[in-house]
Amino acid sequence: MNCDPEISAALQSIPWFQEIEAMHFESMCGIASLKTVEAGEELFREGDKEDYLYIVLEGRIAVEIFVPGRGRQRIFTAEPMEVIGWSSVTPVVRQRTASARAVLPGRLVLLDAPKLRQLCDEDHDLGYVVMRRLANVVASRLLVTRLQLLDMFAHPGQEASNA
Amino acid sequence: MPEPTLEIGSTYALQKPAFNQLIASLHSMGYQTVGPVVKGDAITYAPIQGLEDLPQGYTSEQDGGRYRLVYTGHPRYFDVTPGATSWKQYFFPPRSEMFTASKEGRNWRIEETPQSIPAYALVGVRPCELAAIHIQDRVFLRDEWSDPIYRMRRESAFILSVNCLHPCGTCFCDSMGTGPKADTGFDLNLTELEDFFLVEIGSEAGKMLVSGLPIQPASAFLIQNANRGIDEARKRMGRVMPNSPELPAFLLSNLEHPHWDVVAKRCISCTNCTQVCPTCFCWDAFDQPSLDGEQSKRVRVWDSCFNLDYSYIAGGNTRPNTRARYRQWLTHKLASWHHQFGVSGCVGCGRCITWCPAGIDITAEVAALQKEPIS
Amino acid sequence: MITNIAPQTSAVTNSRPMRPHWAEIIEIEAEAPGIATYWLRFLDPALSKGYIFQPGQFNMLYLPGYGESAISISSDPENRELIGHTIRYTGNVTQNISRLKVGDVIGVRGPFGTYWPLEQAKGSDIIISTGGIGLPPLRPLLYYVAHHREEFGRVVLLYGARTPKDLQYTDEYDSWEKAGIETMITVDRGDESWKGQVGVVPILFYRMRMDPKKTFVLTCGPEIMIRFVVFEALARRVPSDQIFVSLERNMKCGLGQCGHCQIGPYFVCKDGPIFSFAQLEPYYNVEEL
Repeated sequence: MNCDPEISAALQSIPWFQEIEAMHFESMCGIASLKTVEAGEELFREGDKEDYLYIVLEGRIAVEIFVPGRGRQRIFTAEPMEVIGWSSVTPVVRQRTASARAVLPGRLVLLDAPKLRQLCDEDHDLGYVVMRRLANVVASRLLVTRLQLLDMFAHPGQEASNA
Repeated sequence: MPEPTLEIGSTYALQKPAFNQLIASLHSMGYQTVGPVVKGDAITYAPIQGLEDLPQGYTSEQDGGRYRLVYTGHPRYFDVTPGATSWKQYFFPPRSEMFTASKEGRNWRIEETPQSIPAYALVGVRPCELAAIHIQDRVFLRDEWSDPIYRMRRESAFILSVNCLHPCGTCFCDSMGTGPKADTGFDLNLTELEDFFLVEIGSEAGKMLVSGLPIQPASAFLIQNANRGIDEARKRMGRVMPNSPELPAFLLSNLEHPHWDVVAKRCISCTNCTQVCPTCFCWDAFDQPSLDGEQSKRVRVWDSCFNLDYSYIAGGNTRPNTRARYRQWLTHKLASWHHQFGVSGCVGCGRCITWCPAGIDITAEVAALQKEPIS
Repeated sequence: MITNIAPQTSAVTNSRPMRPHWAEIIEIEAEAPGIATYWLRFLDPALSKGYIFQPGQFNMLYLPGYGESAISISSDPENRELIGHTIRYTGNVTQNISRLKVGDVIGVRGPFGTYWPLEQAKGSDIIISTGGIGLPPLRPLLYYVAHHREEFGRVVLLYGARTPKDLQYTDEYDSWEKAGIETMITVDRGDESWKGQVGVVPILFYRMRMDPKKTFVLTCGPEIMIRFVVFEALARRVPSDQIFVSLERNMKCGLGQCGHCQIGPYFVCKDGPIFSFAQLEPYYNVEEL
């Protein structure tokens, strides 16, 4: 299976894909594609059925949740080399839990999520590598979210009213 | 009898009745003499005019959370160990006004509150209390600045110390190296014997005071008596502090010891210990504005690390429970003090043990921590 | 007649260290909701000329009738005609300072405390990680770096606030970038008009690449933020004597004498507020110390 040179180059620039076996790299290459986005363009919406795992190459992607009565709350921005849409690979969560929108013009690598899951099922070594990296992503997201919960820059007395 | 040539460091004998002449001399030199008196079933410090005001015949029974002044009728004047009050209040008053700010247009003018206080002669300072004064000197009189209130009172004071021959149930000056004998830093130091006071001259001021008194050279017999009494006193301490050069480091590496929870259950954060302690120096400053806002007095008062507000910062309290506050007090006193001032903060006077309503004993707490250290 | 009077370099009278020195409010600059910078000039011309401070130090500001508050100096240490103090209105004293106007007079004692390690950091990279009201005590350092840029390696400012309108000194970010200080900003929560990063400031730090041996990490802000930055810096193997934090405690004197500001054996007003993590290490994880 031949890997598209542009995709291959893009993948090699991502720390995620460095230090994996050539065989695994080729498999991932086969399910990867590239996407360019404009500022303001939506990647996915809350409730969408999951389809892709995204890795940001350039630009900035905002993760937002819609709160009825308050509108879209921007809770996180992903910078180059960070992952968006990890929920597509974890077995339990089947729908997007947040929306993603480009803040700046950018470029992303997309990994076909159903195919990625299938690859992981077929080759547990690759599956282990992918899941280990995903565990790191989810762990660091959780830590960041916890810190946001602590609202550490609130003035004393302000934490109660989380407006 | 030819008058002996007075020398600093030498000891002389003074017949007891002549002590009142000593007091009179102090008065003529402009001092207000303060010393131990019986007041309200306890020993406190108050102005004295002579031997007749001293607590002759009294001893005190002291234990954890217990103080009893007992009249036994013995002939000695200085044989009773201190009560709750310490000499701290004379140099570091519980409340003092630092200055008054008065508004002048959009500007302010400062006027220092005149301190019209007498020059005090402290009569009957025990060696532990003398050590406490020297410790507070390190706190209030530093190279980079000095506290004017403390400085003025301290520099004008005369110190007449008295060696301890009868320590009480909560005394442990011996294990803190501060007594029962005063070594240095006094103007005069007395040892009370049957008919005589032995008087050791410690300074020029002491020498000058003694030069008018009917003193005699101290015989070897008297001096031996005194030394024997002091040695006996050393063996009769009521408590022992497990004191060692390693104690500060030990305490600062056992800050998570389970025993802090045990003592926290008993401590009620009443602040008695910090008030009676002769070395505790924490204070608070606040403004007392006039009703029309045109003037404000800046006031300094004693504070205590056991007070809840003490550790308040915007948005919370860094020591919100008794466990944290008791730990702060003990580790400051016996460990941090070394880092900050080069000596221990504890002089072994035992007041904190006697006057704690829960009877918490600082020596026992340290022993408990050392029994099963976590580090 | 010429009198040689040595200019006074500090607003602390050694024989009367609790006595305030008076300064006039020349300008009040609103920074963010509940925060403003007060620009003060000492009434005494000798003091106005001679007063010196180092980045990271603080003054005790005195409002007669209300009391004193410890406020970090937030202005340029080499431009001292006016001394800037960025104040957040939190307690009784600061809230009454908020009622003062230009021309009013306020008491000053200081400068107090230890300062950011500019000498030790020469030749090294500096990562400054701060948020909210933690930026003011670091601004004097940013000015110093801007004036002496060649003395340091890479200098990065990571700064975050709760929302975009809580960001301070926004009109200076460009000049800091131009002076060679990489400036990265984030907010805890943004809105659609915010084109910058969203996420707590520690993640800016997580994303940084650094050469630990030649990196100094300076941090100031809520203690919880400091904690995470310190842990991450240690995880990256930045030596603990190259990590510096600014701590805050209840202060009444600034002299190490009233006792309130102690953490373990340290007085935060005298042995701090700037500490190396090496100094704090034995006590850092002890809760409620």
